[in-house]
This record gives sequence, structure tokens and C-alpha cells, in this order.
Amino acid sequence: MSWLLLAATLAQYTPAEAQAVFAEANAAYYERDAGVAEQKYEKLLAQGQGGPDVLFNLGTACLAQGKLGKAVAALERARRLSTDDDIEAQLALARQAQLDRVLGDTGEAPFVQRLAATLDGDLVALAVLALSWLLFVAWLWWRRSEGTAPIRVLVLAGVAALTVLATAGLAAEVYVSQTVREAVVMAQTAQAKEFPGDQARTAFEVHAGLTLRVMETQGSYTRIRLPNALEGWVESSALEPL
Amino acid sequence: MARTGSARAAALSIALMSTAALAEVEFHMSTDRTKVGTEDTFRVQIVVGNAPNDALVQFPKTDDFEVLGRSESTEMGFSVGPGGAGVIKQVKKYTLTLRANRVGKLTLPPATLKSPTTTLSTEALSIEVAKGRLAPDRPPQPQHNPFAPFGIPGFPGADDEELTPLDPFSQQDIPPNEADLFLRASVDKPEPVVGEQVTYTLYIYSRVDVSSVNSPTMPKFDGFWSQDLKTSATLAPEQRLVGGVPYRAFLLRQKAVFPMRPGEYTLSAPEAEITTGFLFAGRAVKKKGNELTIKVKPLPAGVNTSNVGQWRLSTDVTQTEVNLGEPVQLRVIAEGRGNLQALELPKPEVPTGLRAFDPQTTEKASSAQGRLGGSRVVEYVLMPQQTGTFTIPGLTLDFYDPDAKRFEHARTDPITLTVKGATGAVPIAPQAAPLTTDGPKNELTAGGLKPLRHTARFSTPRAPLWQRPFFAPLALAPLVLALGLAIVGGVRRRLAQEDEPSRQRRQAKAARKRLAQAEHVLAEGSTEAFYGEVDKALRGFLEAKLGQAVAGLTRPQLDELMKGRRVKEQVRTRALAVFETCDMGRFAPGMGDAAARQRALDDAAKAMEGWS
Repeated sequence: MSWLLLAATLAQYTPAEAQAVFAEANAAYYERDAGVAEQKYEKLLAQGQGGPDVLFNLGTACLAQGKLGKAVAALERARRLSTDDDIEAQLALARQAQLDRVLGDTGEAPFVQRLAATLDGDLVALAVLALSWLLFVAWLWWRRSEGTAPIRVLVLAGVAALTVLATAGLAAEVYVSQTVREAVVMAQTAQAKEFPGDQARTAFEVHAGLTLRVMETQGSYTRIRLPNALEGWVESSALEPL
Repeated sequence: MARTGSARAAALSIALMSTAALAEVEFHMSTDRTKVGTEDTFRVQIVVGNAPNDALVQFPKTDDFEVLGRSESTEMGFSVGPGGAGVIKQVKKYTLTLRANRVGKLTLPPATLKSPTTTLSTEALSIEVAKGRLAPDRPPQPQHNPFAPFGIPGFPGADDEELTPLDPFSQQDIPPNEADLFLRASVDKPEPVVGEQVTYTLYIYSRVDVSSVNSPTMPKFDGFWSQDLKTSATLAPEQRLVGGVPYRAFLLRQKAVFPMRPGEYTLSAPEAEITTGFLFAGRAVKKKGNELTIKVKPLPAGVNTSNVGQWRLSTDVTQTEVNLGEPVQLRVIAEGRGNLQALELPKPEVPTGLRAFDPQTTEKASSAQGRLGGSRVVEYVLMPQQTGTFTIPGLTLDFYDPDAKRFEHARTDPITLTVKGATGAVPIAPQAAPLTTDGPKNELTAGGLKPLRHTARFSTPRAPLWQRPFFAPLALAPLVLALGLAIVGGVRRRLAQEDEPSRQRRQAKAARKRLAQAEHVLAEGSTEAFYGEVDKALRGFLEAKLGQAVAGLTRPQLDELMKGRRVKEQVRTRALAVFETCDMGRFAPGMGDAAARQRALDDAAKAMEGWS
């Protein structure tokens, strides 16, 4: 096992090599060979040289080839790593090309999900760490005071409020991460059944590029939920978890 | 009417037939040259007129001359004879092609016409023979080209090979001692200009059976660019006359050569091994052809171009209206005759606002009627950089036409290209262009795929910060610490709130502990320190018991205090005595011995014990 890990480490690109492969992929795309570009971007990802830029370009190359599922999956992953107008614009184009129209979709996720999507998880976690220690120091400072100095009380209250807010944000992030799992439909057409099983009746169909929520998995089937609360069971192989 | 005409024609034929027998016999021999060289051929014509049907012509027999060929023709003539009678004259002409075998003044014997009734002879001919070659090349036979009036100027018609100024079949002499089989190389243009096609042809001329030919050794065409036009896979004979002698001619090789520089070039003689006869009677002979000299003239001055031939030029684009970001293919096409490899095409002037990528060139060579040519297509990919209307100027291709002997110019029309705003295309940043206040505006429309990221910051996927092992302990540590400190503080506060008896017990315990320390001082031998410790220990004890500080009180004051707290007389007395002993021990001499110290220590202990 250790030999395999060592071999994998040695086989990885250096930053210069990775940049060269990235440039080759871009050149292939601009020479109207998006397929070759896609392969090179995926090679970078397989080598651990990912990031929002590689994912964005991979999504764009797939979109140029009409591979909606793969494009949306890459762009959604890029969006989770970086907030960028270009990513949103590319995703909007993909949604225009997507076949499914979810009726009754308000277009807005629950508040907690929106809050988590807005926040930078690492930044919030870092704030929680810093504020909790700052609160501890303020508390010590307050304890050492003779009587109840108003300034110390105010500082302590302010730091405590910030700590609570940061902790709430982190809690939202943790909650969404642990409970809200999303996936993208990769198959051109996937049948959503009423219950998990080949004999079950098909309730509706979803198509490549649709982003949906994963509720649970049973055998080879996954229960999905659309933004309008429509649910069904589709084969897990038709989905790409995000 | 038709019946009447036929009867008249029949009567006239009978009359003519009846008078033919009356005509006189004509028989004579002549030659076209009386002075020839041993390498020359000459012709002797024997004319026989009105000969009887059974008459035989005997040709002159001699070893001085070799008969290379013989042909005959018959002519019929009609004339009005004496008395108005019609006379039909039949004339047979025999043409012999001869070549002298030796030098000198030779005599060709007379020819003889023999019939059962008479014998006639011609006169002998005297021929003066010199060594070598005396006669100039015979001029080419004038031929009529029926396609010339309909041909395209500069593009020879279907009978080009027959009209070449040097006919390889009629003007070449037969090599001496190789009358039956020889190689002959020829070029169609011995004095071309630079870049003009010269067709080099190699034939076998044979009057014997030829079964096979090994690959001939061709001359090196140094100074020429050459390409094969025809290469014989099988031997296909054609009937040709050389100096009046019929031969079977086999084409071995035909090449198009283009001189690259002016000057005089000599092409070495080709060689080939030819097998004559068939099967076991075959015989291989090695034959060597003739050298050729080509004098290459420079192009006339006037136009600075190296293109030679007949060329046409055209351009086209895939579309004249295009969206921004969509490529357009511009093709420049040249086709015609000449050396395609050496053709230099003009480059289109691409206006600012269009970006031209490196062109792709495709060539297709072809040959027609022995003339090499073809087409070249240069395809440019133009990428519009901004919207507007752009004009690509027309192109001009200058070339020298060797047939017309002048420079020609092939031109194309300008091309107008309209670029509209992109819809769904990949926009490309426009190039810097000079600022203009008028002219087409660059219309920028958002939409389409966003461009790629050109640089990347690579990162390995990793777990969020809050999922890492150190996060939870680090985040909870302040809370745990705060809780710990709060607990400790609470304990301390609770300890601080002890009741009076407990406090007194604690202080008394401390006083006793201090008295125990005085025992250590006793051992060390310091009198003053010893009594000081005993005094402090007892005072501390009293403070604990009385609940009030006793430091600084005099002994009477202390006595009054103890009385007020209802301390027993015996205890008060003992405590005050210890204080007095301690004062004496610290300030009066004689109290430093060990017995006195021990006594003071015992008294203090008794005072504390008696209290409790």
C-alpha cells in the first residue's frame, strides 16, 4: 500500500507541468477540439491538480460539446470553491440548454442553505476559533476587574455576540454539509420510480444536467427530491454526487 | 434525269479506256541531291508512266548504297490528245531512300522496266559522296491544325505534340550503322526561357522486333526541375517515318523539365538495354542515344516575377456575412499550366479588425497534352475581431506567358465582408486599433460561452476546516478553560466564607505549626530568632482564639483583652509569662542556653494546650 502511495506521489505533476497541461488544454479548446481539452482537464483533476479554474474550464469544454451533465457537475463544484460571475453565467447557459423545467420551483433554497451557500466555511470556522479565544480573554479581563466596569461589560458582550453569530454560521454550514446532499443527473434520461425497484412504476423522468437533492440510498437506487418537493427513486448510476 | 446522267458517264468511260492504250510509256529516274555525305540520306524517285500491266520495274542494284526505305504511289491523269481525243495517263512513282556506304564519286546504276514486248532503262545517276554530313536538317513538313482556330490562346489544343517545332520523327537522321535500331532523345523547345516547360522525349526506333527494354539511364537534369510525364509500362509501337524510312517507334520516357537559371546546358546521352527477337532467339543490345543542348534564355525585363506559364487566379470566401467570433475561410486559387512548384502567389491584405491565421496550402498537379500544370489552393482562416464591414483588396498575379511571349496579369475582385455582433460565440479581445471618429462601430453583445481561464491556481481537494481533527479541541478549549477557572474560583470563594470556630481552629493550627518551626530554630542555636518565632507563634494563636489582632498590644492591654474574653486566669498568666520570657530572651543576656529555650518552648505549648 505504501508503495502505491509513493508511486502516486511521484507520478503527480509538478506545478510547472500542471500549468503546461492546462495551457495545452486551453489551446486544444480554442482549436475547436473541446474533447481533447476535456481529457487534459480531467487528467489534471486525477493528478490532484484541481481547483475552481480547472473545474470552470472543464465545465466550459463539456458545455461546448453538449455534455450537460458533466458540465453542470464541474461548474457546480467550481461554484462551491469560488464565487464568480463567470461560473454563474456558464451555469445559466447550461440551465437554458437543460430539458427539465421544474414547475412550482420558487427558485429559492431554504434560509439555512442560502446562508451556508453565502458563507465561506473555512472563513467562518476560523472566525469561530478566533472569537472564542477572544471571548475567553475578555472574560478573564472582566473577572479581574474590581466591581463592574461598564467598558469591560460592553466589550465582553460585543465579543460574545460576535461569537454567537459566527457559531451560528458555522452551525448552518455543518448542518447543510451533513444533511443536504446534492447530485447532478448524468444520464441523458433517468426514470424516477415510485419506489426502489425495477418493477416500480415510473413517476417522472429527469434529464442530463438537472441538479437535485439526494435524500437516501437503498440498494442501487437513490431517492431524489426536486426543488418543488417532487420525489422519486432513480438508479444511482445515473447521478453524480456533488 | 438520273438515268440520263449515268448513261453519259458510262459512254465517256468507254471512250477514255479506248484511248489509254494509245499513250506512250514514260520511264525515268531522278534524285533530290547529287552531293551527299555518308551520314546523309537522299531520295531517288523512279517514275513509270503508262506502263503495260505486266511490266516489272527492277531497281538499281549496287553495294555502294544502302536502301533504307521504299514507297510507291500511283496517279491518274486525263488530257486531250491530238484530234480532240481524251487520253488517260497512269503514273507510278517509286521513292527510294538511300544512304551512301563509302566516299567518292559513285554511280547509281539505271533502273529497268521489263515487259514481254519491250525493255526500257533509265539513265545512271552520278552521286558525289563526302564523309560526314553535308545536308542541313530538312524543314518540318507544314501541317494543318484543325483545332487551332477554336483553341484557347495560350492553351495548346489536342494536337500539340504534332505541332511541336521539332518533330522527332521527320527531322532526325538515322544514325550510321544503326539503321535497324536506335535510341533518339528530343526536346520540343531547344531555346526556352527560365521557367518554361521543355518536354524531353526518349524513343526507340526499330525496324526489328523489340521484346523488352530495361530501365533506361536518363541524363541528369542539372539546372532543371523535372517531373515524369509518361513512362511506358509496355512497349506500344507507332508507325513513324524517319528521313522517309518507316520505323516502329516505342516511347520510353517523357519528362517535363523546367530550367531554373539561364545558360547553355548539355543533356547527356541516354542509354538503354534493348532485347530484340522473341523467346530463345532474343538478343540484348545496349544502345546509346544522342546528347541534346538546351539554351535557356532569361526572362525579359519589365515585370519583377518568376512565374512562367499560363495561370488563372480566383478568390472566394465561405460567407460574406459572419457573426463576430465565427471564422471565415478565404481561398486563393491559382490554376493553369506551368511549374506549380515554383509558382509564387500574392498574399491578401487583411484589414485591421480581421485576424488571419497561418494559411494551409494544397496543391494538385496534373498534366494534359504533355503540358504540366495543376492548381494550388491557399486557404486562410480569418477571425473577425470586431463588427463592421471590411474589404479585402483584389489580388494580382503576374506571370510570363512563353507562348504569347509577354507578361500577363491575372486579377481578382475585392471581397467585402460584413461582421455582425456575436450570438453564442466565443468573443475574442479586439486588437488595438487607431482611434477613429467615423467608420464602423464595434458592436459588443454579451452572451455565449465565457472564455476559459488562462491561468490556474491548482489546489488539492481537502476537508473543510471544521472537519479537521484539531478544530473541535481548539474551539472548545476556551470554554473548558473558562469552566475550569470558574470552578476554581467558586471553590476558593467557598473556602473564603468559613465560620469563626473553623477560622480560629485554622489559625490555632497555624500557630502550633509555627511553634514547631521554632523547635527547628532551637536546634540551629540562634537565640533571638528562636524567641522571636515563639513570640509570633503565641501571638498568632491568641489572634486565632481571640478573633482580634494582638500585634502591638502591651502585656497589660493583652491581659485586659483576655479578661474581657473570659480567659482563665491560669491561661492568661502562662501566656503573659511566655511573652515576658521571649522579651528577656531576645534582649537580655543569659537566656541563650538550651535549657532556657526548651523551658520557654514548653511553656508556650502548655499555654496553647491549656487554652483549648
